[in-house]
Amino acid sequence: MALLSYLLRRLVGFLAVMVGVSIITFALSHVVPADPAIVALGDHASEAQINAFRDKFGLNKPVPEQYWIYVTNLVQGDLGTSLRTRRPVAADLRDFFPATFELSLTALVFSILIGVPAGVASAVSRNRLPDHVVRVVSLIGGSVPIFWLGLVLIGFFYGRLGWLPGGARIDRFIPPAPTVTGLFTIDSLLAGNSQAFWSSAQHLLLPALTLGYFSTAIIARMMRSSMLEVLNQDYVLAARAKGQREVKVIWHHAVRNALIPTVTTIGVTFGSLLSGAVLTETIFSWPGLGRYATNSAINLDFPAVMGVTLLAALVYTAANLTVDVGYNWLDPRIRSG
Amino acid sequence: MNRSHRIPYLLVSLFTFASLALAACAPAATPAPTSAPAATVAPTSAPAATSAPAATSAPAATNTAAPAATEAPTTAPATAAPTTGPASAANTLTFDSNISDLITVDPAVAYEYSGILVVHNVYQSLVTFVGSDLTTIKPALADSWDTKDAGDHWELTFKLHPGNKFASGNPITADDVVYSYNRVVAINGSPAFLFTDVGGIVTDSVKAIDPLTVQINLPKTASPGAFLAVLTNTIGGVVDSKVVKTHEANGDHAATWLIDHSAGSGPYVVDHWTKETEVLLKANPNYGGAKPVLDSILLKHVAESANQLTELQKGDADVAANLTAEQLATLSGDATSTKGADLRLFYLGMNVAMKPLDKVEVREALRMAIDYDGIIKDLLSGNAQKVQTIIPIPMFGANSNAPFQQDVAGAKALLQKAGVSGLSFEMLIPDGAAPGGVQWADLGAKLKSDWDQIGVTVTIKQESFAELLKSYRAQKAVLALLYWGPDFADPDTNVTPFTSYKAHSIAWRNSWDDPIATKSAAAALMTDPTARVAAYKEITEYVLHNGPYAVLYQPAALFGIRTNIQGFAWNPMGFADFWSISKTK
Repeated sequence: MALLSYLLRRLVGFLAVMVGVSIITFALSHVVPADPAIVALGDHASEAQINAFRDKFGLNKPVPEQYWIYVTNLVQGDLGTSLRTRRPVAADLRDFFPATFELSLTALVFSILIGVPAGVASAVSRNRLPDHVVRVVSLIGGSVPIFWLGLVLIGFFYGRLGWLPGGARIDRFIPPAPTVTGLFTIDSLLAGNSQAFWSSAQHLLLPALTLGYFSTAIIARMMRSSMLEVLNQDYVLAARAKGQREVKVIWHHAVRNALIPTVTTIGVTFGSLLSGAVLTETIFSWPGLGRYATNSAINLDFPAVMGVTLLAALVYTAANLTVDVGYNWLDPRIRSG
Repeated sequence: MNRSHRIPYLLVSLFTFASLALAACAPAATPAPTSAPAATVAPTSAPAATSAPAATSAPAATNTAAPAATEAPTTAPATAAPTTGPASAANTLTFDSNISDLITVDPAVAYEYSGILVVHNVYQSLVTFVGSDLTTIKPALADSWDTKDAGDHWELTFKLHPGNKFASGNPITADDVVYSYNRVVAINGSPAFLFTDVGGIVTDSVKAIDPLTVQINLPKTASPGAFLAVLTNTIGGVVDSKVVKTHEANGDHAATWLIDHSAGSGPYVVDHWTKETEVLLKANPNYGGAKPVLDSILLKHVAESANQLTELQKGDADVAANLTAEQLATLSGDATSTKGADLRLFYLGMNVAMKPLDKVEVREALRMAIDYDGIIKDLLSGNAQKVQTIIPIPMFGANSNAPFQQDVAGAKALLQKAGVSGLSFEMLIPDGAAPGGVQWADLGAKLKSDWDQIGVTVTIKQESFAELLKSYRAQKAVLALLYWGPDFADPDTNVTPFTSYKAHSIAWRNSWDDPIATKSAAAALMTDPTARVAAYKEITEYVLHNGPYAVLYQPAALFGIRTNIQGFAWNPMGFADFWSISKTK
């Protein structure tokens, strides 16, 4: 019951966040001193064409009225029609979100699988070579621009060595598996198409590493710091005094406790992965939400910008909810109520 | 918390992630658009093109092999199988380009560069230009045509080539032409003004006289020659009405379906368009002309020019469309560079309502102070031609006279003659990179530096294209740096906007209301080519020295290309004939 009550309270909070996000985004997108109709129709369009476009998309109405219409449609599941693609925004999101989700999720998995052990190893080997290596690599990861890193990786692994593909989600001569989830790797596994799976996995590797490098560095540093703190705790000393093997002391007692702040970081990181995907998707010709959002913003495509923002808020909130719920599992002392 | 209590939290965590993933990735509950997404605009006033080149007689048909039309299949759309791939590298042209502008491949709606490139290779019109020649209109679906003065209107009669088929196998008839052109008017998409304003086309204007004869009636205010030039555009593409009608929904004229499907008769069909990823064209087995050399054309979206370069060098791309001049200079071995014509003119607009720009001497001084050769040589690495009149080369009526090169003393003398000194202007320039491989900011800085030498101070205001256009279209810009591209291959597409105040286009934006507009309107309706060329010579010379413009240059279209590709030629109207491209191993 405590869990249910907690979830209900979080749901109310979530709805408040979504309303706030929609108001702020809508207001900001409508104070831009430019005309989306001109952007959509181009320099050659006549005034009559421009006015017809404004009428069709309701751009001539007062902003509060436009917002009311938007919200009214939104609660009926209608995110509106994109001014740029002229398609329903929901259909666009359905097309583009799976690619970003697959990329971000893979990057997150890489970050956790590499960052957590690296942080542990660094803390355990404090001030020795492994620690120095992890700290330097983490420092670089936190500093290097994604754009530059992506181009370097493409130039080296694709351009020079030819080991990995340079862009896109799958080889140009391999048809993707029929869409079930929209995640190429999962869909090709579901279809039993090993050729498509390996190709899509190969294509996923470089962009996921590029995108995940920053978060790997953050997770590793957070884990190291947290581990150093935990390793000085009495219960670790007690475990060692009881004669437990060092491996068990580290992984059973220390790591589990050190993970709590790291989990918070992972939740926040997932949100940053989604936003970082904009650059990664551009470099790797990855047809995801980031590129869609960028093109929509450039073209003053308000409905699309709203749709992307609401979806991002949804994902971000859900990720944080997952983290909060995860606390309860990791640490029995933490109670939501 | 004991282990049994932890399980619900674990399950909730997993469920949250799983449901999030599924909700995001599952097919949408409401995928079907209900309102017509393509129909948008409603032009009434106009870019006002009403011209008339001489093409009124009917050349003989030469280009269609014409299989006999005996069987008559009806439906069978020839498109959209999103899970197929190109045949093989040997039979596929991979064309790397930034195609993020692509929003539809419907000939009635497409008016973006990538859309035109696709539609040109998928649909056929009644008439066409061949190669890079933009002066002689040639037959396409029509064997011949005739223009008749019917008193209060023009009658254009087209005889269709018998035996032509759509990709579906359906025969191409006059009814398909009528359906296609009425559809353009009904949808009223971005390029529809070419029909409704330039041609004065309304719903009853296009008629089927018999299965192979189409008659198009134009008002006397429209130019039959200009309309023929319009028909060579992708908007003239004829759709398979039997197929298209089966996909109409909610009165949308199948505009939704044709966003990413094709129903044409061109050398290729749209196999699939995966948004922000690729468009795959496959050879049309029922094409009436010579069989395309390559089976597949893969128009691949690669936004980053650095990646286009790498793919070209490794042989994963055959053509790269967005390389910079510096990147092209690095090509060697199996990759090289090639150029095509680009009809866009980069120009400076000077608002004559803003004093002292109302003085001809001041405008001439600003023109005279610009280092045109430096811009072309240094900023554009030579990838542009020095064009200073308002009709681009090689369009009919183009005037290659380019008298201006930086003359500081002469410019100062003109300012002195005008009785002005210490001038200061604000110049609007767009942000980002200009087509042609130069940053707008660099171009603006160069002009500012040139004008500094004659004592004219310019404040550069860099804005997004949308912001700039809003000011410019409201006559609020003082100086504005922009470009103009033609809508169709007739000089009137540039001359009317640049000279006619009433057209509410470029001349209006620069507050320039000059009697030369009368001569422009007359030139548009001339039918004698010699007289028309002479008229445009007079108009362009006049605008060159009296107009509110400084035309800076006409850029080249630059491409990186593998050396084993033959037959790639860029048409000045912004497309390539993919069907004539071949590839050796």
